[in-house]
Amino acid sequence: MKTKNKNIFKQIAGTAAIPAAAFLIVLILCSARGVKLFETEGNWILFFRAAASVMLTTFALSLNLNSGRFDFSIGSVSLLSSVISASICTSLGLPTIPMLIISIAAGAVLGMVSGLIYVIVKLPPIIVSLGVALFYEGLAFAITNGYGVSFVANTELTSFPSVLNYVLIILFGLLIFIFLFDHTKFGYEYKALVSGQKVAINTGIKEVPNAILCYTIAGALMGVVGFIRATQTGTIQMSLNFGSIGVMFTAFLPMFIGGFIGRFCNEKIGYLLGAITTAFISLMYARLNVDASIQQIVTALILVCFLIYLNNENKVIELVTLKQYRNKKTK
Amino acid sequence: MKKFWALLLTAAMMVCVLAGCGGKDSESDNAQGGSAGTENQGGGSGAGDSGEDATPELDMSKTVKIGILVSDATSAEALAFRTYYTEYIQKQYNVELIYSDELADAAGEAAAIDTFITNNCKAVISFSSFDRAAQIEQCEGVGVYYAVATGTLTEDEYETYKGYEHYVGAIGPSLSVEFETGYNMAKHYLDQGVKNFAIFGGAIPYYTEMHIYRAAGMLTAMIDAGGDGANYQGATDMGGVLGQIFADGEVKTGAIGDVNVLGYVGGYDMDDAWFGKCAQMAQTADLEVILAVGNGSDFFGTAIAGTNVKIASVDAYASSYGEAMEAGMLDYLAGKFSASIGPIFIATYRAALGSPIRTADGNAFALSQGYWVASSAEEFNTYYAVDSSVDAPAYTKEMLDTLLTADYAAFESFVSKYSFEEIQGM
Repeated sequence: MKTKNKNIFKQIAGTAAIPAAAFLIVLILCSARGVKLFETEGNWILFFRAAASVMLTTFALSLNLNSGRFDFSIGSVSLLSSVISASICTSLGLPTIPMLIISIAAGAVLGMVSGLIYVIVKLPPIIVSLGVALFYEGLAFAITNGYGVSFVANTELTSFPSVLNYVLIILFGLLIFIFLFDHTKFGYEYKALVSGQKVAINTGIKEVPNAILCYTIAGALMGVVGFIRATQTGTIQMSLNFGSIGVMFTAFLPMFIGGFIGRFCNEKIGYLLGAITTAFISLMYARLNVDASIQQIVTALILVCFLIYLNNENKVIELVTLKQYRNKKTK
Repeated sequence: MKKFWALLLTAAMMVCVLAGCGGKDSESDNAQGGSAGTENQGGGSGAGDSGEDATPELDMSKTVKIGILVSDATSAEALAFRTYYTEYIQKQYNVELIYSDELADAAGEAAAIDTFITNNCKAVISFSSFDRAAQIEQCEGVGVYYAVATGTLTEDEYETYKGYEHYVGAIGPSLSVEFETGYNMAKHYLDQGVKNFAIFGGAIPYYTEMHIYRAAGMLTAMIDAGGDGANYQGATDMGGVLGQIFADGEVKTGAIGDVNVLGYVGGYDMDDAWFGKCAQMAQTADLEVILAVGNGSDFFGTAIAGTNVKIASVDAYASSYGEAMEAGMLDYLAGKFSASIGPIFIATYRAALGSPIRTADGNAFALSQGYWVASSAEEFNTYYAVDSSVDAPAYTKEMLDTLLTADYAAFESFVSKYSFEEIQGM
């Protein structure tokens, strides 16, 4: 019984440690400057928007990256799907929900095309995804004649940002993702392929349809991210020459954090908690008006320190254990 | 038999070569018809007729290739400029305009100029300013004419390069015009009794001079209207304010006499934290007007929806700003007009044809141009109708043709009349 309780405690502590520590640090830093972390509704909206978009981006990135497929095109899928949905909705006068649905559908199709190109041309995924990123960026540019899409004055489409809407996106996104990857045949096959591709293929699992489906799901997720970003300001700015790749990098820190937390709970919940951790940091940057250059340095330092810890975890544990042993011995 | 095939092949090749030459001639002839008019193309269009009389010394029969360096391919301003050149200028004159990719640094500029040279470009018009000095040196070294569009050289740079044979000159808002633009924008609201402002500093954190000068203009207007003892961080004049912004790399919030700068955001980070800062600033209590040194409505439009906060921007005339003005989100726009790059094209074209425009003392020119200011949707629509037209833009071919033989004084006079009313009255 004691061991069971100890395990449950260890799981809860391991799951909550990083986001709780991040929250405490952020709270202390804000208090030291006399700033309330959550002062207005706008602060809550920023927090949940950041958590939602980073969580979905992390899902989309990890989905292919765990299988060894580095996908640089997810940012461009997000850009192009939002351009398609916003262009259709502004020209037909459609409201928010159809825009979200069109964005998801467009993202899924674009992701599927990306996956098909990968399995057909059989080039390394990095090269394919770079080509696809350039192609989609160019397509978005061509569709809008370079002007992007602006619907700042469309109060219907720009009314989406609210705490409730972002919480709903987080919940639905998480539940659907958990269902797809933990409770379907596709999910089991995906896990089998991730853990041992050759063995999985020998058991009859088809790698190609699984890969295409992964790209399609990642595309649909990025469609939602594109929708969130577009409805945030009512404008979609164009990106060229790999300008859309930056979106992908927002997901690295939460992905590593999620991977760590995944030892204590479901990995997908780990990704959500990773996204929440980065959302706390983003909110702190905004509340304390931190300069962009300092933000970059701090974020890079956190990422590097975390990776150093992950790579040397055994040595750290060994050191701590050795110290405890010596202390006991001295006593 | 072999001889027969060899002869047949040779004959076929000769026919192809001759046909190719013929095609070239006819293409050239066609191009002449569409150009400003030449001595051997008397029966051209009306415009060609006038060009024939006006430009006897310029041989416009050959297509002139001009490279266009751009560091921005997606902003409303950049797209409007590109449309004017590709959809109007290129169709009116016997020129081929070759655009660079969207350049990100000085190395990219050098590589793009190399590509232009390989493509036999006779001149380069630059919208990219990572390293102007290197661009000028590179072009001078290979005898390619070089001009600066919508920008200016610093005083030191101008002194260094004004005598270069292949440096044509620069036309664009000078830094004093940028200062004036910011000053007038703030004054527009100060005259209405507005006291509470926020400033969007755009590229101030990257030390972009035009944005710093615009912000300095805004702050100086506030000092002038702020009553006795009003100052910005101790500075009371243009020089002091400029020095303070350059020292800080940002605009500090606080009171300037009885005028308040309640908020400030700079940069274009476009991440969650940055958008959070923008929303926070737009929702500051008692805020009345957001003064943006660049595009304001795209970043703050949704955040001010449902409030009485107004946005004033500096950018170009794009349809999205019209919608924002109609919706009451954008209140004031100081915008560059797309045809403003017409005169620098003519100067560059003339240089490539062997007739460069030089100042009275034989140097390259440095001329300033300002903005069209719209403070109502009606005004915006009037300007936008002209600015977005590819059939009858602000500077038409007929107007630009007068510059083909103009001396420096006439050229300078033409450029200096840049207001909407002055251009319409030409």
